[in-house]
Amino acid sequence: MYETFEHTADLGLRIRAKDLDTLFAEAAEALFSVLIEDKTTIAESRTLEIDIAGDDREFLLFDWLKTLLYHFDAEHLLFRSFEVRVRPDGLHGSARGEVVDRSRHELSHEVKAITYHGLRVEQTPDGWLAEVIVDI
Amino acid sequence: MAKEAYRGPLERVDECCWRIPKSYKQGMRVDGLIFTSEEMVDQLIKDQAPEQVANVAFLPGIQHASLAMPDIHWGYGFCIGGVAATDPEEGGVISPGGVGYDINCGVRLVRSNLFYRDVKPHLRALVESLFRNVPTGVGRTGRFKFDKKELARLLGEGPDYLVGRELGTLGDIDHTEARGRLDGADPTAVSDHALNRGSEQCGTLGSGNHFLEVQVVDHVFDEEAAAAMNLEKDMICVMIHSGSRGLGYQVCDDALARLRKAPEKYGIELPDRQLACAPVNSPEGQHYIAAMRAAANFAWCNRQLLMQQAREVFADVFGEPWQRLQMNLVYDVCHNIAKLEEHTVDGKTKKVWVHRKGATRAFPPGHPEVPSMYRKIGQPVIIPGDMGRASWVLVGQPGSMEKTFGTTCHGAGRAMSRTAAIKDAAGRRIDKELEARGVIARVPSHKGLAEEQPKAYKNVDDVVEVVHRAGLSRKVARMRPIGVIKG
Repeated sequence: MYETFEHTADLGLRIRAKDLDTLFAEAAEALFSVLIEDKTTIAESRTLEIDIAGDDREFLLFDWLKTLLYHFDAEHLLFRSFEVRVRPDGLHGSARGEVVDRSRHELSHEVKAITYHGLRVEQTPDGWLAEVIVDI
Repeated sequence: MAKEAYRGPLERVDECCWRIPKSYKQGMRVDGLIFTSEEMVDQLIKDQAPEQVANVAFLPGIQHASLAMPDIHWGYGFCIGGVAATDPEEGGVISPGGVGYDINCGVRLVRSNLFYRDVKPHLRALVESLFRNVPTGVGRTGRFKFDKKELARLLGEGPDYLVGRELGTLGDIDHTEARGRLDGADPTAVSDHALNRGSEQCGTLGSGNHFLEVQVVDHVFDEEAAAAMNLEKDMICVMIHSGSRGLGYQVCDDALARLRKAPEKYGIELPDRQLACAPVNSPEGQHYIAAMRAAANFAWCNRQLLMQQAREVFADVFGEPWQRLQMNLVYDVCHNIAKLEEHTVDGKTKKVWVHRKGATRAFPPGHPEVPSMYRKIGQPVIIPGDMGRASWVLVGQPGSMEKTFGTTCHGAGRAMSRTAAIKDAAGRRIDKELEARGVIARVPSHKGLAEEQPKAYKNVDDVVEVVHRAGLSRKVARMRPIGVIKG
């Protein structure tokens, strides 16, 4: 489950999930919901496997989102669904989607970068909470 | 971190300046000084921007004060509108957060010999053609493709390289801050990821607050300075606001990753991770500086190619080569940058690293870095406003050297968050409202237009009034938009 929250110049994403794997997958969905108007228009014809090392959960979330954003900006890949396994020393994620096709995809915001400002990954009584501000 | 009001101290210094004393937080090395007005102070404390001014005062080697311009608003790490100068001889640091992701985001103004009466009958066709021919929006690639070798030259040489390819003139170079080329740029310090993001994006506008506008000179305040810039009332100009695109964002990202362990390594205590920094005289600091300079050169190339495309559209619509339309560059300024400059601090002249995060250099008349044709009037400063009201041309004044390390504001500054602006626009047609004001706007989405609607910004006139009164820069001309394209 994710929502956006107000930040004057940019945009905040708040994600809640029952476990860390889902939290990371939903954070990626939240990112692509900023990039494209209607994510149901993305076909899942390609899969990208991503491995990231690191033991700091906040940096790990940051690097995961940053990697996906890179593939969007440099290779024009849009992703719709994500599976993530977070380990104490890193993560393995797979992202499914396709290359941008302007006749079918209406793009929304340009996300310049994921920021460290106010970046949080925390355990809560009901599961996990993450907050991240993206630079628009 | 949701939006919260600032509850710390804010003391009035004079008509245009408020202080956050360094006693506010343990760790602040200098005071915070915010240039604003009585009318804008209430808006200022609505979010955490003043807290960010205080946080920047933690940076090692910071000189005089952590400064903010009247268009200050909440950013990440640094506030937008923030200025900080550090002295490398006193352990001063360089901070990628003090430059921002969009390295050398900036503005350029192009004049013409067309007047409002000439353009009005063709305005719709002109805006449509600009929208078709100048790439705008998320993920849009341009018609200019550069391979790795060519990119390296763009990064090392800036628009000089484009002049060699007949995509610009020597006159363009003369009218660009730093002549569009920061020495010490090292293309090999820029990662492959950054090059991949930039290879197809040079000459594209991007999205967010970036724009290309057709404007009319609405009012001239300083005839002498306007004449030096060849501007006169009712003249048609083109203003372009964009930066270093994905290449610059990636350079900043790479630097922040490289600096993750730097605060610990160099014993620097920071209240916000986004303020990550390293001493100027460290391998990490030097690496970032070399890459940042290369990204800055790339940004100047981007604005050069955007201008070139706009010139071609005008030539096509008005049936004359752009040279005959005298579409000459007035000036190009950057407002996200760090530069090594000479300034006098406490009576001592020294070289400091001036970080300008949403702030514009505003050197006064006579300064050796002001190009010769403008040396008598001071450096032109281009201030974009919102798409419904106005933009400004100013010139730098001596007060900027005394108070703000040669710096003034950079724009209107946001007053509303993007989500609030969308809510505010519900049920309205912003494009129709703009049209009623005489502005034709073309954007890919209504949502984008809602987020960037005039009400989402402070009134740029109020911001300019403060820097004018504070003696940081002086009003030359006010422009109103008549055609807007955005991403």
